[in-house]
Amino acid sequence: MSPSDAVMRDPGTPRPTLDRPADYLHEEHTLRSWFFSTDHKRIGLLYLASITAFFVLGAIAAGLVRLALIVPNGQIFTSDTYNRLFTMHGVIMVWFFLIPSIPSTFGNFLLPLMIGAKDVAFPRLNLLSWYIFMTGALFTMITLVIGGVDTGWTFYAPFSTTFSNSYVIPALIGVIVVGFSSILTGLNFVVTVHKMRCPGMTWFRMPIFVWTLYATSLIFLLATPVITIALILLVMERAFGIGIFDPRLGGDPVLFEHLFWFYSHPAVYIMVLPGMGVITELVAAFSAKKVFGYRFVAYASIALASVTFLVWGHHMFVNGQSQLASTVFSLLSFAVAVPSAVKVYNWTATIHKGSIRLDTPMLYAMGYIGLFVLGGLTGLFLATLAIDAHLHDTYFVVAHFHYIMVGGTMLAFLGGLHYWWPKFTGRMYPESWGRVGAALIFIGFNVTFFPQFILGYLGMPRRYHVYPPEFQLLNIMSSAGATILAVGYFFPMTYLIWSLWYGRKAPANPWNAKGLEWTTTSPPPAHNFTITPIVDFEPYDYPNQAPEIV
Amino acid sequence: MTPDDAGGHPLALWPAAASLNAHEVDHLILGFTVVTLLLTVPIFVGITYFALRYRVGRAADRRHGEGRDVRIELLWMLIPFALTLGFFLWGAMIFNTEVNPPADAMQIEAIGRQWMWKFEHPGGQAEINDLHVPARQDIKINMISQDVIHSLYVPALRVQMETLPDRYTQLWFKADRPGVYRLYCSEYCGTDHSKMDGELTVMSPADFAKWLVQAGSTQSLAAVGARLYVAYGCGGCHDAKSGIAPSLAGLYGSAVRLAGGSTVVADDTWLRGKILNPDSDPVAGYRQVMPSFHGVLKEDDLTHIVAYIRSLQEPTQ
Amino acid sequence: MSDAVPVGIERLEHFESADQQREASALGMWAWLLTELLLFAGLFLIALILRILHPAAVTLAATHLKFWIGAANTAILICSSFTMSGAIELSRLGWQRGMVRCMLATAALGTLFLVLKGYEYYCDVVEHMVPFLDQPYALAADPATRLFVDVYFVTTGLHAMHLFTGVSILLVLTRMASRPGFLARHQNRIEIYGLYWHFIDVIWIIVFPVLYVLNR
Repeated sequence: MSPSDAVMRDPGTPRPTLDRPADYLHEEHTLRSWFFSTDHKRIGLLYLASITAFFVLGAIAAGLVRLALIVPNGQIFTSDTYNRLFTMHGVIMVWFFLIPSIPSTFGNFLLPLMIGAKDVAFPRLNLLSWYIFMTGALFTMITLVIGGVDTGWTFYAPFSTTFSNSYVIPALIGVIVVGFSSILTGLNFVVTVHKMRCPGMTWFRMPIFVWTLYATSLIFLLATPVITIALILLVMERAFGIGIFDPRLGGDPVLFEHLFWFYSHPAVYIMVLPGMGVITELVAAFSAKKVFGYRFVAYASIALASVTFLVWGHHMFVNGQSQLASTVFSLLSFAVAVPSAVKVYNWTATIHKGSIRLDTPMLYAMGYIGLFVLGGLTGLFLATLAIDAHLHDTYFVVAHFHYIMVGGTMLAFLGGLHYWWPKFTGRMYPESWGRVGAALIFIGFNVTFFPQFILGYLGMPRRYHVYPPEFQLLNIMSSAGATILAVGYFFPMTYLIWSLWYGRKAPANPWNAKGLEWTTTSPPPAHNFTITPIVDFEPYDYPNQAPEIV
Repeated sequence: MTPDDAGGHPLALWPAAASLNAHEVDHLILGFTVVTLLLTVPIFVGITYFALRYRVGRAADRRHGEGRDVRIELLWMLIPFALTLGFFLWGAMIFNTEVNPPADAMQIEAIGRQWMWKFEHPGGQAEINDLHVPARQDIKINMISQDVIHSLYVPALRVQMETLPDRYTQLWFKADRPGVYRLYCSEYCGTDHSKMDGELTVMSPADFAKWLVQAGSTQSLAAVGARLYVAYGCGGCHDAKSGIAPSLAGLYGSAVRLAGGSTVVADDTWLRGKILNPDSDPVAGYRQVMPSFHGVLKEDDLTHIVAYIRSLQEPTQ
Repeated sequence: MSDAVPVGIERLEHFESADQQREASALGMWAWLLTELLLFAGLFLIALILRILHPAAVTLAATHLKFWIGAANTAILICSSFTMSGAIELSRLGWQRGMVRCMLATAALGTLFLVLKGYEYYCDVVEHMVPFLDQPYALAADPATRLFVDVYFVTTGLHAMHLFTGVSILLVLTRMASRPGFLARHQNRIEIYGLYWHFIDVIWIIVFPVLYVLNR
């Protein structure tokens, strides 16, 4: 028995019986108790519901895009409609799904639990973050309903400020507002990690997921204000003619690219880092082994959050920027791959000589490792100057970032969702359906996006509604994959909801995993722990020599 | 979409390579792919193998050490980084050639606008969306946008460059054999972004010479520029004798001293900027009296006048 | 003064101690101020880079800025930081009436800044130094000046918005803080708010040199 098993074994506290104590989920049922709750766990679920709804919208947009691309001559939609579809897909997926997904759902729910706290530092601010998120979402929905925006999620000027005939301003307002939700969540998490850790929970006893949430929160705080000002300047130019980017008004279009990418590159690490934290938790739990190189993995998280601010120029190799600048950004982009590689190697070393269970979360984790590595290395290709001169703005880039966002972040999200589902809901999901879903998603994903690497190298530019007929075969393959992927997504969406009523009731620690969240009931009580934990053990203190048969 | 002369085979997995640069880029990416596989296949194989070999319930020796090893961490940080750095260098070297056109390249002017390309040969021949060039000759495209950001991309050459609305950018290449290849706009620019494509036709020098004659033009770009120069009375101040304004002979590409003391190179972008906004960057030694031609000269006119200025040689002593 | 009231902080239930609550609140406000600094940093960088790229244009545009109004406003805000610091100190001592007076003085100085700023903008309109209005722009001959002037309006406008919000919150806080029992339960709020007010001052202390002083 390891030291952490002794936590909560205060003989004075009665063990949970069948008549379990009221937990956060079942305590109160009113709408008011949900929509005015300052409980981080309920807020996490509010976010879960919202981002799932947005994921569905963004996925429908993607489905329509892939439908349109079955034919090369663009006869399924008009070009204007197509342009609005891919823009809405990008805007919704980036800001209303990927960025909030893991931090605002799992982060909110688990951060206090993992550090032995009762709640985050500012619970009311936490609720406000969700309302701000929904306000930003409202603007985006309004944009969608009144006709959509067609600038691409990158909003390059002067097209977005002067030439676009779509509803750019409400879309921008939606994104500006939702940025404040990110900032406040990041602020809350940073203060929580600094000030709310339970006794004995030193920095190097925190789970890696907390380290990655902390690193992500630093990026939230430092990067988001820059996109805020960039988009505010776009609104000023479009609405009031205050020229910043349009040369006709005295502005400079490349200035926008700098401001935009200074945020948007770190933003992709906002999408990547929490996923890496989840995978670390999954790999450790399902190998029943402590994280190899824990300190290196922790430092690598901070390194990623720092170096990510130095590479934005790799999105601008071919916009006329100086050769020197491009060369420096290329070199730094190679450097930023190193901490990611550290994590991948450490995960592999953790699995080595572990005691592996191939349950659904572990299948997602292993899929993640494979797909993230591919995505990351194709990123290095793009960081290579002469290769990017060919591949910039082609489908190669689209494939690269979907390997990271879907093959990476989405798989991490689903893996974590399955892993912590019993903790959130008190129910187990049906394991065999879980595996079917994971397999379909993995296969569908690869069939969708691998052909896009080839399309990119062949020279098919991105954001193309109409394309040369020789690209049709690969496009059809990609669209077929998207269908399989969509079917795959249906599985967890249905059986997870099904499990809320019919799933097997879960014990406190169904996975026999280490971590303070597993020492409390499933679902946890409103204040997380009946007595404050005191930590005097290392993280992931699985016994060294795992028994041969478990 | 364009006719299929440029079209590749539907089952092709690799694009045509129309220049030495294209071949070099292909070697680079193939080499990088090999090294990538060397670094990643062990991971894929490793995690699968370990997951099966050490699967719970299987008898195996699971005794392991401390769970940390600084030496192995440093090794697997530095060795892959060092390996990949080789590709950074290789890519930077190829890129160095790509962004530094030879001084004597044939210069073709291009303007991108929603949603078409206009190319102009030095002899004045104009083409819309399509471009004819001779093989085995250095070609430099000097381009600008008339509205939003576009980008000229020729996959067969493995190069692209954005066109911006307020400054010129360049793209250069040397196609090695005749053929027809697709060119695209690769920076999203609105409704018909995906229809802003065309064909690059590379011809043997002899065929190209014939084409130039057939394409018909009355005047070179520089000659058109000269006519504009006269029509707008530029010579009144800029002719060598007047002394009111700097002479333009030999100005192109030279270093110009500004009133503030700094120096700037008189390139296409700077010259165009001065014609539109003469008050910016005041030049040393002259009082600023030049009127602005903002709204007076079209983008094509500016290109032609700059071409004319480019053609004005240093006066022989 | 002999009428000092009790001073303290009412601990919220998710905090283990009042100290933890104070430290968390302070760290939270500092984190927020960091994000605000980054919001303005982009604008400062644009102004500085513009100065390097187009020194003549920026100098020309800057001659039309109302340096003495800017200088007066700088002094006003620095004074307001003094009065706010006074309010904080008095809040720690429990001198509620004095604290309220200092807070009102701070709000008054902030309002004075906004009035002067409004007058400054009015002068800009009269002098045709507002390129985005439907009137001829005085420096149209040198378009590079336009970006600088636009950045001037966005930066000072954004700062004024923050100041207006700051004054509004300050007035609400003053009203709450003048009630009996406030200082016994929420003294911390005066300190935390004071951080924000000082920050509004600090931003202006960067704006003034970057836009007005450097380019003279």
